[in-house]
Amino acid sequence: MLPPFDYHRPASLAEALFLLASLPGTKKILAGGTDLVPALRRGDLSPDHVVSLSQLAGMREIKEDKGFIRIGALVTFSRLAEFPLFLKGPYKLLAEAALQVGGPQVRNQGTIGGNIVNASPAGDLLPPLTALEARVRVCRQGGERVLPLAGFLTGPGRTCIHPEEILAEVDFPALPERAAGSFVKLGRRNSLAISRISLAAIVIRGEGGIVEEARLALGAVAPVPIRARKAEALLRGRKPSPALLEEAVAAISETVADSLGDRPSAPYKRAAVRGVAREALIKADPRFASGGC
Amino acid sequence: MKPFRFRATVNGRPVDLPVDPRRRLLDVLREDLGLTGTKEGCGEGECGACTVLLDGRPVNACLVLAPEAAGCDITTIEGVAVEGRLHPIQEAFLEAGAVQCGYCTPGMILAAKALLDKDPRPTDQAIKTAVSGNLCRCTGYVKIVKAVRLAAARLAREEGAV
Repeated sequence: MLPPFDYHRPASLAEALFLLASLPGTKKILAGGTDLVPALRRGDLSPDHVVSLSQLAGMREIKEDKGFIRIGALVTFSRLAEFPLFLKGPYKLLAEAALQVGGPQVRNQGTIGGNIVNASPAGDLLPPLTALEARVRVCRQGGERVLPLAGFLTGPGRTCIHPEEILAEVDFPALPERAAGSFVKLGRRNSLAISRISLAAIVIRGEGGIVEEARLALGAVAPVPIRARKAEALLRGRKPSPALLEEAVAAISETVADSLGDRPSAPYKRAAVRGVAREALIKADPRFASGGC
Repeated sequence: MKPFRFRATVNGRPVDLPVDPRRRLLDVLREDLGLTGTKEGCGEGECGACTVLLDGRPVNACLVLAPEAAGCDITTIEGVAVEGRLHPIQEAFLEAGAVQCGYCTPGMILAAKALLDKDPRPTDQAIKTAVSGNLCRCTGYVKIVKAVRLAAARLAREEGAV
C-alpha cells in the first residue's frame, strides 16, 4: 500500500485545474505513473492529493496545425515511436528517442509530458525537443502560458511549473522536407538504461547541398540539455564531408568539456561524445561519412 | 480513504469490486483476485516480472495505480491458456527449455503474446526488443528467443489450418 493521499480522477482539464487551484495541501499530478508510483512507494514523495489525468482524452492527440506539430502531454513514448509522421524524415529523431526510453512496458505507460516535467538531465525526449525548439503550453485555472522548453527546464528535476498548473501540450515549428533528424544515445546497455550521453541532431540542407542550419542538442552533459553552438556555427554554410564531420565532432567535444569542467565523468564523456556525435551526424546526413552531394 | 469502484474486464470476465485507490494493479490482481501468476520482482518497473496486458499492450502492473486500469481489458498469465489447454507460446517455452526458475516466465510470455498478436512473423531483433523490458536472472535469453520463434511458427501453422 502506498502512503496516504486522496485520489482524484477529474473528467476534464477544467475540472483538473479547478482541483489543483482549490485543494488544500500538497498535490502531485499522475500521468503515466512510471516515475510517480515508485516515488510514492519509496516515500520520496508524500503528497496530500494525487490528481490523475487518465480521463483527459484530449491530451492524447498529435496534430499538425498552422505550421506547428502539437503533441498532447499524455502521448506515450510508444505512440511517439509508432506515429507515422515521426517514422521518417525530419521528425525521426523524436521516434528514435522515444524508442530508447526504458523497455516496452515503460514506453506504453510513460508520457512526453512526464518526461518534460520530471526534467531528468538524462530524459531521452529532452534533447530532441530542444533541437526542435519546442515550446510548452502550461495551463492553470483561468489562464495559460506558452514558453520555450529551454526556459521551462531550470535544473536537474526542476522546471518553472507551479503546483496548480498542468503541462497540457508541447509544440514545435514544422521543419522543411529538406531537413533530417537523428538521435543517438549511449547507455550502459541497450534497454532500461539511463543515458550517459545523448545527442539529437537536425540538419537542414540549403541550396547547392550546403548545411543551411544545424541544430545539435546534447543530453546528460549538463543540468539541462544544451545546444552545441560552436559546432552548429561551423557547420552553417558548408558542405558535409568526412573532414567537416571531424571539425564538428571536435567542437562538440569542446562544448562537453566546457560544460562538465572537472566533474569525475568529464574525461570519459568528452571522449565518448565523439562517437555519439559521429553516429548522429552521419545518420542525419550520410554525406558526413562519404562526402559527395 | 473512500474506496474506488474498480470495474474492468480481467481475462475476459467482468470484475466489479471496491478497492483502495492507493493500491497498485499488481496488488489487486494478486490479493483481491487471487491471480498470483503475476509476480512482483523489483516493484519499480525495471524487471517486467509483473507484466500484464492492458488493452493488449504490456505494462508493469507495479507502476499502475489500480483505478488507472479501470475500464480496461486486462490479461494476466491465467488468461492465456484456453479451457485448460496451454497457449502455443506456453507450450513453446516448455519445449524450448525457456523456463529455468520460472519467476520471469509469466511476464515473458505476456510480452511475447503482445508481440505475436500484432506481428505474427517477427524478426529476432523484434523478439529481443519485445522482451527487452523483462529481466531473466537465470540468463536464459537464447532459449526464450528460440521459444518465441517456435511459437510464432506454430501459431502461423494453426492460422493456416483454420
